[in-house]
Amino acid sequence: MLKLLQNEWMKLWSKKGTWIMAGLMVVLIIAMAGIMKWSGSLMDDESDWKLSTQSELENDKNSLASGILKGESKRLAEENVQISEYRLANDVAPLNDFSREGMIYNPSVGSIALLLTVIVAAGIVASEFSQGTIKMLLTRPVKRWKIMTSKYLAILLFGVLLMLIGFITTILSAFIFFPSEGGQALAISGGNVVEVSIWSHGLYMLLLSFVNVIITATFAFMIGSVFRSSGMAIGLSLFIYFTGSVIVGLLSRFEIVKYLIFTHMDLTMYESNYVLNDDITLSFSLVVLAVYLVAFLIVSYTVFTKRDITA
Amino acid sequence: MEPTPIVELKNLSKTIRGKKIIDDLSLQLYPGQITGFLGPNGAGKTTTIRMMVGLMKKSGGEVVIDGQTLSADFEEALSKVGVIVENPEMYKFMSGYKNLLHFARMQKGVTKERIDEVVKQVGMQNRIHEKVATYSLGMRQRLGLAQALLHRPKFLILDEPTNGLDPAGIREFREYLRLIAKTENVSVFVSSHMLSEIELMCDRIAVIQNGKLVDLRDMSESQEAHYYVEAFPADQTFELLRSLGFKSESVNEGFVIQAEKTQIPELVKALSTAGLELYAIQPHRKTLEDQFLELTGGGQLAETASK
Repeated sequence: MLKLLQNEWMKLWSKKGTWIMAGLMVVLIIAMAGIMKWSGSLMDDESDWKLSTQSELENDKNSLASGILKGESKRLAEENVQISEYRLANDVAPLNDFSREGMIYNPSVGSIALLLTVIVAAGIVASEFSQGTIKMLLTRPVKRWKIMTSKYLAILLFGVLLMLIGFITTILSAFIFFPSEGGQALAISGGNVVEVSIWSHGLYMLLLSFVNVIITATFAFMIGSVFRSSGMAIGLSLFIYFTGSVIVGLLSRFEIVKYLIFTHMDLTMYESNYVLNDDITLSFSLVVLAVYLVAFLIVSYTVFTKRDITA
Repeated sequence: MEPTPIVELKNLSKTIRGKKIIDDLSLQLYPGQITGFLGPNGAGKTTTIRMMVGLMKKSGGEVVIDGQTLSADFEEALSKVGVIVENPEMYKFMSGYKNLLHFARMQKGVTKERIDEVVKQVGMQNRIHEKVATYSLGMRQRLGLAQALLHRPKFLILDEPTNGLDPAGIREFREYLRLIAKTENVSVFVSSHMLSEIELMCDRIAVIQNGKLVDLRDMSESQEAHYYVEAFPADQTFELLRSLGFKSESVNEGFVIQAEKTQIPELVKALSTAGLELYAIQPHRKTLEDQFLELTGGGQLAETASK
């Protein structure tokens, strides 16, 4: 199996496109940091964090008092209130989004890594068919499920690598472009306010967005191996990635929305202030996603191992 | 004594959407022998070959390779087989060497030294580190052959291997196949629509039509003694030949008869005593093409030639 994985890895990096994608990712992340720096300098407001925290606190309290918040949204608002009160009482400044710490605390690597991993996942089976190499690949004494597994592992490895490259680039550009502004991230743990390290939170965000990378890439892998067309696989995967939240919005009145994949794909929402559906929690999302993931893999493997190669 | 076959097809069948593509096909292939696989287009050659190498699932019967059943022990059975399916499509964006490395990793026990050895065998050592995209068709064909030989297969299966090769390339390829069949006792199974090619290369031919094996013969056997007789007047000649007990067949202005060499003087005497004017009597060699068309019916000539 290791040798098969080596093969996939060799094929992947023998293509110029892969190097271009990895390079593009580095360039994009640096460019984004540069743009953030520039737009941050335009705002140039020396606003007091205490005033903005105060108004945030009042907003959250009003929402809670109005009673429109339920479930996860209510919980998030309550936590925010607790944290804001703690900040004001103990004089703990929050992180500035446009600071070195803010960048590392919330690295925006996920969507670029997702896009590039989807492109690789879509093509890894489909391209064997379009190049005609599938005939060579499948007449070797290796069972088809092993070949499939090596390809899937190669995708995951590629995804992990991109996330790491992205995170390292983010850290570097954070240090290059932004000054340290201090501030302390806070979270609620066991009912108490605790301090959070920007590093562990950054990695946690990376992990949450990597789940989305896996799900979308597995979907692309499935479409690519069922329809043998990487274009179609890329198109459909990005379609569900971009339209997912719209579909959730349209169907939000129905119970079924809880079980749609779109509702759960972006797990970083649990670390933001807005959850797509009030009845879901992180663990529920993970279960739903796991079910979809297994279904996608079953379809991919079944079609691939049963197919007659006629082309 | 018959040697034990290395490959056995036992009642192989394939049904696609209710249509029998391959019907109860049985065939044995022996070590050191090159067997040609002939048939008009759509007869089921490619389907048969793809079932033998695991690209297509069979609907019934068995493929046994060196004692192992393909469906039961896929990896073990296929590890004895080298395959070239049509034009070998390699990864064009990688060098020839990386391609070989790729396929070597999919086999047990292929060392780096073995790769180098095979590269030398097919005469590619000068360009093996260049990208496959820069190779000519002949070189790709040789790379394909190198790939098929990496693991020292006992059985080599080739589907239309000479497609697109120039005459020199074809000749080189053919001689190479003969050589490894002889020296390494490899059994070779070649499908081709180029009859003259098969004729030059093979020891034995199997002919398939409408999914059934219609003929299987040794090439030596297929060269029965035939003579061409041209005498005037033709109708009297025909009568005479018949009265002497020769099976005759009208070809051009004369007849082709089946006869032994020792019968010829007798025949000449008979012709002259009958007062017939003898213009020619000569050995006649039926080409494989003639035999093939006899077997499969001439109607499919156009299709066969155009594949």
